[in-house]
Amino acid sequence: MALDESVDQSRVSKRPLAKAGMQSERLLWPTKQGVFEDEVESMEDALGLTTLEKAIAWSQTKSMWPATFGLACCAIEMMSIVSSRYDIARFGMEKFSSSPRQADLMIVSGRVAHKMAAPLRQVYDQMLEPKWVIAMGACASSGGMFNNYTILQGVDKIVPVDIHVPGCPPRPEALMEGIVRLHEKVMAGVPPAYQIRGVAS
Amino acid sequence: MAYEGVPGLVEAREAYGETTLVVDPARLEEACLHLRDEEGFNLLLDIVASDYLGWGEDGVAGYYGTAGGRNLNEPAAQGYSRSPEPKPKRFSLSYLLLRVADDSDRVRVQVWLDEGQGVATVIPVWPTADWYERECFDMMGIPFEGHPNLVRILMDEDWEGHPLRKDYPIGGEPVRFSEAE
Amino acid sequence: MATVERGALPGARPYAGSRIPRPVPTILKPDPTLEDVLTVNFGPNHPSTHGVLRLIVDLHGEHVVGVEAVIGYLHTGFEKTMEQKTWWKGVTYPARVDYVSFQYNELVYVLAVEKLLQLEVPRKATWMRMALGELVRIHSHLVYLGTSALEIGAISMFWYCFRERDLVLDLFEMVAGTRMHTRYFQVGGLAEDIPVGFYDEARRFCERMPKAVDEYEAILNTNKIWLERTVGVGPLSGEDAIALGQTGPNLRASGVDWDLRKRDPYLAYDQVEFDVPVYEGGDVFDRYKVRVDEMRESVRIIEQCIDRLEEMQGEPWIADDRKVVLPPREELHTSMESLIHHFKIVTEGFRVPEGEVYVGIESPRGESGCTLVSDGTAKPWRVKFRAPSFAALHATAACCHDVAVADLIAVVGSLDAVMGDVDR
Repeated sequence: MALDESVDQSRVSKRPLAKAGMQSERLLWPTKQGVFEDEVESMEDALGLTTLEKAIAWSQTKSMWPATFGLACCAIEMMSIVSSRYDIARFGMEKFSSSPRQADLMIVSGRVAHKMAAPLRQVYDQMLEPKWVIAMGACASSGGMFNNYTILQGVDKIVPVDIHVPGCPPRPEALMEGIVRLHEKVMAGVPPAYQIRGVAS
Repeated sequence: MAYEGVPGLVEAREAYGETTLVVDPARLEEACLHLRDEEGFNLLLDIVASDYLGWGEDGVAGYYGTAGGRNLNEPAAQGYSRSPEPKPKRFSLSYLLLRVADDSDRVRVQVWLDEGQGVATVIPVWPTADWYERECFDMMGIPFEGHPNLVRILMDEDWEGHPLRKDYPIGGEPVRFSEAE
Repeated sequence: MATVERGALPGARPYAGSRIPRPVPTILKPDPTLEDVLTVNFGPNHPSTHGVLRLIVDLHGEHVVGVEAVIGYLHTGFEKTMEQKTWWKGVTYPARVDYVSFQYNELVYVLAVEKLLQLEVPRKATWMRMALGELVRIHSHLVYLGTSALEIGAISMFWYCFRERDLVLDLFEMVAGTRMHTRYFQVGGLAEDIPVGFYDEARRFCERMPKAVDEYEAILNTNKIWLERTVGVGPLSGEDAIALGQTGPNLRASGVDWDLRKRDPYLAYDQVEFDVPVYEGGDVFDRYKVRVDEMRESVRIIEQCIDRLEEMQGEPWIADDRKVVLPPREELHTSMESLIHHFKIVTEGFRVPEGEVYVGIESPRGESGCTLVSDGTAKPWRVKFRAPSFAALHATAACCHDVAVADLIAVVGSLDAVMGDVDR
């Protein structure tokens, strides 16, 4: 998967991710080598995946079914990535599985009240491993604009989060960028967050 | 005034084009029945509870307006500290009523309550009051006598404290601005 | 029955034909003599309930004999949080209360603050607020139609509705920079001027929208499965609807001709021509019909607003009152008073006179209102949102006489309750 010829080849990363054909926006933007790529690539070098593991990781990303966990305004934008303009079916993810037993990815979209924290953790526990969590929006990442008695200041207090997507609400394209980065993380061999995080795993 | 016949009427105020009828809390249900049956207010829009603890404690200096508009010539409006008018009791409970008919009208029925003082439920008058009263109980701690199902509605069932009161802290976490903290 | 006449009112005893459960109007309790009743929890995380609503349902076979709604899973403490922010900063919060018709909540808050301030808003802002309000009404009804059809099983409606919804959000993005939760309505008018090219885009949308609504009706209106799933399901009579505090499309579908845009016109609704759809049946199908017809009427209103707005190009879009509204940036370089006003408004906030006010407007869900109590300082003393979805959920138990489980989903979807609005 070659990059566009007009891109100055001397400035494009020669590192494994680019060679593997990853096409995240920052890779195609040569002046923007980000921290994300550095970390993921260093982890990939350290882990040294075998071909079989790479194949398994590749297939895990190819149809990662999200669990329906739409809570508030971000849920409306999450629904719009299913719509035809921001088609998420091209990633194989249009099946929002209602049963957590059959879901791989939990996109926490919206503010989490303390009352809702217990059902959220219950749904997370019911998901089978490997499972990933995307904290979508400001409220799920950090409590957002609500710093009060009832909103959990960040869903990573109760579930381990792989990707935080900022925005209030994030555009559908931003959420898809988050999903694509999650795919890249998985393909690089980074273990899901519950194996890495010390807290709430 | 059209509202003189309301039982238990203490005061009728007009401001911003709205009529507020202050009613004695002991006669609230009679007043509501009168308003629904005689005056025709058949839809209860909202029940608003407000806590006036600490009302007027930070005096407002400088430009300060009045209900009739902002009049900078009003005495004590230029550079002097002035407190708003004190309220009779700690809690006010307002019932917003609407008349769904060709001659539609709105009115606000207000009662003033002390801490812990309760008021009769108006579910027999407007069934929609059920959840509104539960919310006022949950958020402000105002007990409603005769309510068939007075449990917390928005907070957890075993939550302690009434969040919207002024002496209940806003909660939340202090924001960390750097890793050093 | 058109309007409820004075004198024809529900009495203190349940009137004949009332199906409101007693003693608790919002809880349907199963008959204690019935055996074989299974209690099922439609938990807060469920694909078919709109958002985080929990229904505790008692089933006798497939029939629902008891239902209780438990809410509070999205309680955000808006009212307490807004007491900590100034009036100006508080404008970001109301949009997130009813997150599907976000502009309408901002509008009600801003109208209430302007009522307390007795501030006059330029007519360009009034008409633009109307246009955007009707756009958000279309947005809300599209989301309603897409999601409730999805829940009943007409899955492809989701993609049809969200295709047009993206067009509406494109218009919002053009005007305010962000798709949802624009803070475009400010106290005194609009945040910015209307951009070049908006009128053409809006006209293009208005040409496209009625054809899209024709498509939706062609798919659903004569579809036998849709008719069997929605006609006669979950009926609510007019008197019951009024007794349960319903307003908006739920009330109009029950036969009561009540629309605040006609009865108590706010903004400039008395200067535009539109009709209000009223249907008699009170069932799920009529609520669907009311909303679809309202989409067409909204397009008519938007076209008239655009025509009027094009005449107003070059006019101010926000009030001139420097004690409340930020001065234009060019003035900050030359005028000392403007600099001081800017400083005071941004740091301390403008002060609003003491008083208590309520403003109610016709949001896509019903009468949305905002009660504001001010003590004369720069921060509100009490903000209370009258949530139409809160009242709409009251009617769940009354609508659920003699329904099966699948119909329960249809009923809850047709009441169009947004949980952010319910729990605030």
